[in-house]
Amino acid sequence: MSISITVNDVKDIATITIVGSFDFSLFNEFRAGYSDLNKPYKTYVVDMSMVEYLDSAALGMLLSMRNAIEADCNIQLTGANAFIKNILMISRFDKRFDIQ
Amino acid sequence: MMKLLCVDSEPVYREIISLCAEKEGVKVKSVASYEEAILAFENYAPDIVTLDVIVKGGSGYDLVKKLKALSGSRFVPMIFLASHTADSVMDKCFKAGADDFIPKPFNEVLFNIRLKTHMRHVELMKEMYRKNKALTYYQTMIEREHEMAHHVLDHIQTRSEKNSEQVAITRLSAASFNGDLALVKTRADAARLVFVGDFTGHGLPASIGALPVMQTFFDAVDDLVCVNELAVRINRILFSILPDYMFCAGYLILMTQEGEITYWGGGMPNAFIRRSNSSVDYLQSNHMPLGILSATEFEADLQSNKLNAGDTLIIVSDGVLELKNCHEEMLGDNKVKTLISNAYAEKSLITAQQIIEQQLAEYLGESEQLDDITLVALRSPCL
Repeated sequence: MSISITVNDVKDIATITIVGSFDFSLFNEFRAGYSDLNKPYKTYVVDMSMVEYLDSAALGMLLSMRNAIEADCNIQLTGANAFIKNILMISRFDKRFDIQ
Repeated sequence: MMKLLCVDSEPVYREIISLCAEKEGVKVKSVASYEEAILAFENYAPDIVTLDVIVKGGSGYDLVKKLKALSGSRFVPMIFLASHTADSVMDKCFKAGADDFIPKPFNEVLFNIRLKTHMRHVELMKEMYRKNKALTYYQTMIEREHEMAHHVLDHIQTRSEKNSEQVAITRLSAASFNGDLALVKTRADAARLVFVGDFTGHGLPASIGALPVMQTFFDAVDDLVCVNELAVRINRILFSILPDYMFCAGYLILMTQEGEITYWGGGMPNAFIRRSNSSVDYLQSNHMPLGILSATEFEADLQSNKLNAGDTLIIVSDGVLELKNCHEEMLGDNKVKTLISNAYAEKSLITAQQIIEQQLAEYLGESEQLDDITLVALRSPCL
């Protein structure tokens, strides 16, 4: 599995961990990752520390997630390598996401 | 229901094999001779065959070869059940095309286990065949869609200005088309309007947004619409027609006859200005790409720069920066900067563009180009 979900009900955090290439092939799986949860969470973390490559389709998937989740919920993008962080910053994703 | 063809000259074995197989829910037809076996194989079309080394009217080795040939692309396991159990016999059976060998007399339990294993293989092969057929269908469909997308974009592209000593556009399409668009047109006031965009996604979906963008762009050329208003318009159109996971990174640039540049950039890599003294400056895109933000959130503030005589503005899509050589190394910002700095020292823009195209091809070498490549070069007309 290239996507895994863990939830922490005490801290009210849902974490989506992606491994390998974050691209169009994960479209349905990624969407299921945040929409099939039992309840909404205050904070969502997309852990990209094990992502090697990310394409523009993945950026679209993140935007789609942002739209699907309540505006007052925080989405953190964590662990991005320098290449990926650069892509996120070029597209000014810092305007919609908490990039760490 | 799975079908088994039993070829055996001894009636007692025909009976035992039939009983065993039928217990597993397999339909059985049994025959006694070589000729009957060939006929039955063609008419009955079994999923599995059992046979002996000695067959009335021919040899088991020949029979297995013949039946394998008749199976064509279908996988039909052939199980030898034989009284001759010397290694050399077994060896000949497998070399002739057998999939299994069970010595006679055989244990019923063992036979059933082997039979079930082969049935499972047959099921797997059938499943694989079905999936392969479905995949081939989808692949053909996608190839057709990509062709159509190429066609649509190439048509749009023909309305753009032809290459000259002030404008040079290079577009190299990859096998999997990904929606780069480059438009350049000179307005009635002699200023040049430029759009270099990169749609998310691949194939037909990536080309859908290109049509309204093209229309808006050429209207803006005719009506002398200013760059920030054009950015607002394109963003509004893409925001309303594209699904939320699709957008378009792009530069919108207006260059006056005097070389004054005003531009809007969103989600694009840095563009380069190669100065006549061979130093390199950047244009940076500081906005989110087009089609993401609603009209109320969208920011249309522009940046500016200037092209002096002998300067060249070069806009590249990320396909250029992410070009990989045979060692899987990406070209990257620094190498592109060096290439540009050298190539555009050339007086003729058309020649410079040919040099850079050649150098990109050399870098790529034998490896496959994965993304579309777009490279637009502009010089000020006031040379």
